[in-house]
Amino acid sequence: MKIYHSRIIITFILLLAISLPAVYAEGNRDFMRETGKINVVVAVILLIFLGIVWYLIRLERKLTKLEHQTKDD
Amino acid sequence: MWWKALSIVLIIYTILAGMLVPLKSGIQRTEPAFAKAGADQTIRFYGYNTFFQKASDTPVRVWLYYDDRHALAASDFQVLNDTILEARFRFPGQLPEKKESVSLNALIDHPVAGAALLPAAVYLSSNPDSTGNTGLDSAWTANPVEQLHVQSGFSFPYQNVIYESIRNTYFHVPMWFVLLFLFTASVWYSIQYLRNPEPENDRRAAAFAETGLLFGALGLPTGMIWAKYTWGQPWSNDIKQLMTAVALLIYLAYFILRRSFDEYEKGARLAAVYNIFSFASLIPLLYIVPRMFASLHPGATGNPAFGSQDLDNTMRAVFYPAIIGWTLFGFWIAQLRIRYQRLYDKALGLD
Repeated sequence: MKIYHSRIIITFILLLAISLPAVYAEGNRDFMRETGKINVVVAVILLIFLGIVWYLIRLERKLTKLEHQTKDD
Repeated sequence: MWWKALSIVLIIYTILAGMLVPLKSGIQRTEPAFAKAGADQTIRFYGYNTFFQKASDTPVRVWLYYDDRHALAASDFQVLNDTILEARFRFPGQLPEKKESVSLNALIDHPVAGAALLPAAVYLSSNPDSTGNTGLDSAWTANPVEQLHVQSGFSFPYQNVIYESIRNTYFHVPMWFVLLFLFTASVWYSIQYLRNPEPENDRRAAAFAETGLLFGALGLPTGMIWAKYTWGQPWSNDIKQLMTAVALLIYLAYFILRRSFDEYEKGARLAAVYNIFSFASLIPLLYIVPRMFASLHPGATGNPAFGSQDLDNTMRAVFYPAIIGWTLFGFWIAQLRIRYQRLYDKALGLD
């Protein structure tokens, strides 16, 4: 149950982070191109960070499962 | 471990230096971009990261130049603000070369911001009315481009269309270097496994391949974001885009192959052999084939990808630490993956 909740929260944060540029783009259609396209770099860094976090979360979930399995034995 | 701390220090340095160091000044565009020979015309220059209003003893100088020997200096100019400048040009009746039209490069020299250049800024067309004088007008040679200033301090090169996104060199490109190093480690342990079939070697080979694939999976979409705002669309079937996609699919098949055998040793052996073949195809797919064809990526048609045009010394001072930092970070993640697998195999009695 606990894991289920944290997954919802993480998914929500990820969605928020991804949709943030889209929200800004709504108000200003050239959000990515203004100020010398600096937001392209921000998007790239954000994506790399989220990708690594996603991988670490996956690894952690595998570890938790393994911990439960070895506890049962 | 010291190298884990080093990876974090280097990545933090990369992000800080990569984001905070300013770009050199440049010229974004000129208006109008057309002029006629013999005309007296005012042209507006739009600068990027320029400080036209910054006071200095030496004046700002503006040219439209054709080649090393033919340059036309502005007769007069007016600074509107830090980034906009209006210059008057008295275009001679004759073009510097006997042609219908020539394209002139814009050059603004500022004592603080340095020289800013825009290639093919103004198209100057010949004027049939101004006949008679056949000799070359001395205005083309009277004020040659000389004694240009260089911006002092640490700054990244200015490139049109790319602008600030040149900083992606420190984030998108290292992903592919990490992928290469991790896949090299993976094939190394695959060879070790074939020589000495211990589960530890197989574990390492698989974990390095998996984390390598993670960095490939980060390199591809980050490249697509960058491509969207510089090449116009995220996927333009560029040869390097296609070949990297093929290479990633080959490595994806490695994991499918590993899992498709009930017998552990048989699967591990075949996967090790397959890994050697995939690594052998990775090098031509990523580094040889894309250079043989026209590509939007730098380094197409035989040029080294990191020549002085794409990477100057200030960029190297961030780019090389970025490669080392991200690579160590990649090995750190791979190590966690290996340690997990070791526990898992022990728990299941495989090792």
